[in-house]
Amino acid sequence: MENKSPLSPHIQIYRWHISSLVSITHRITGIINIVVITLICLWASLLLLGESKYETINLLLNSSIGKFIILAITWSFSFQVLSEIRHLIMDFGYGFEIKTTKITGLIVIFGSLILTVVFYLIGKIFF
Amino acid sequence: MVQINLPKNSQVKKGKYYKDKTDSKNLRKVNIYRWDPSTEENPRIDTYEVDMDNCPSKVLDILNKIKNEIDPTIAYRRSCAHGVCGSCAMNMGGKNGLACTTPHAEIDGDIDIYPLPHLKVKKDLIGDLDGLYKQYQSIEPWLKSNSNSETQEILQSKEERAKLDGAYECIMCACCSTSCPSYWWNGDKYLGPAVLLQAYRWIVDSRDEERQARLKKVADELKLYRCHTILNCTSACPKGLNPAKAIAEIKKMLATANI
Repeated sequence: MENKSPLSPHIQIYRWHISSLVSITHRITGIINIVVITLICLWASLLLLGESKYETINLLLNSSIGKFIILAITWSFSFQVLSEIRHLIMDFGYGFEIKTTKITGLIVIFGSLILTVVFYLIGKIFF
Repeated sequence: MVQINLPKNSQVKKGKYYKDKTDSKNLRKVNIYRWDPSTEENPRIDTYEVDMDNCPSKVLDILNKIKNEIDPTIAYRRSCAHGVCGSCAMNMGGKNGLACTTPHAEIDGDIDIYPLPHLKVKKDLIGDLDGLYKQYQSIEPWLKSNSNSETQEILQSKEERAKLDGAYECIMCACCSTSCPSYWWNGDKYLGPAVLLQAYRWIVDSRDEERQARLKKVADELKLYRCHTILNCTSACPKGLNPAKAIAEIKKMLATANI
């Protein structure tokens, strides 16, 4: 009996809502960010190998794929930062009402998009 | 461990189709998860056409109508039909709730009815909640008092009593725990929102003298800290309680050494 009983469907049927979406995205961006930070460290250490190696990466990042990657990374960092602030507020015990979680979740989602544009423009104008 | 896909014996097949025989104009399709323990077959989804002109407003009314008029073999738990007993907890339209308090008008399109998620199914819409009850037992949900209280009434101020509001109303229907992805992946170790809300209820009870021991008991990487504030629990609770906040309060007590 124990082994025969099927497992009832779970993630396949459960409806997504804003805070579950923000939560899973927080995880995914967290993993992406770890990988990205490692890659940035490797990129920096390429400086030790001389100018030509550095140039290769520079060319790659200036291509359209490179620009897309940079934008994606910027979004991933923006999302992580905003979502982490949301988590911090929750750790203080605030913002657990369903309505509030919806609002803060939306702030995280749209805020991350706005921050991405802001960071991109700052990079474009000042560097 | 995270396993996104269902095991082979749990994959849901298409089942029978019960056509309406009442010639009603106002029909709704109801898809119900079925599994019969007496066969070797996989679970299936049976579809019923239900005459909504002669059906009261709640999802439980649909189930009763189907059982009484269309297919008596369908199995589900129900008792009070007033949102007090917690028997008819199930997944309707992708969200956990009590069938007796969920209006079917709130569900768009076809009405999908599944058992509570990520449980061993006993039959049709009945899931096995033994694990959850064992966990409930493990937090020792009863008053512990060693002092002279046996002959004397333990008094509680209005403020102290107010701390239990939002925790004592829980009917242990398991809607919250079975909506929680953390509980799906780590249900054997993580206590889950329902049990943690009850743990909180006894921790903040001014009459209880084992507060410290209770806090120490739940202060565990797996038992407590698997909560990642996904908040499926709070949005699922049919009694409008907030297990996620209770868990956050326990974490806060532990972090601030407020013991």
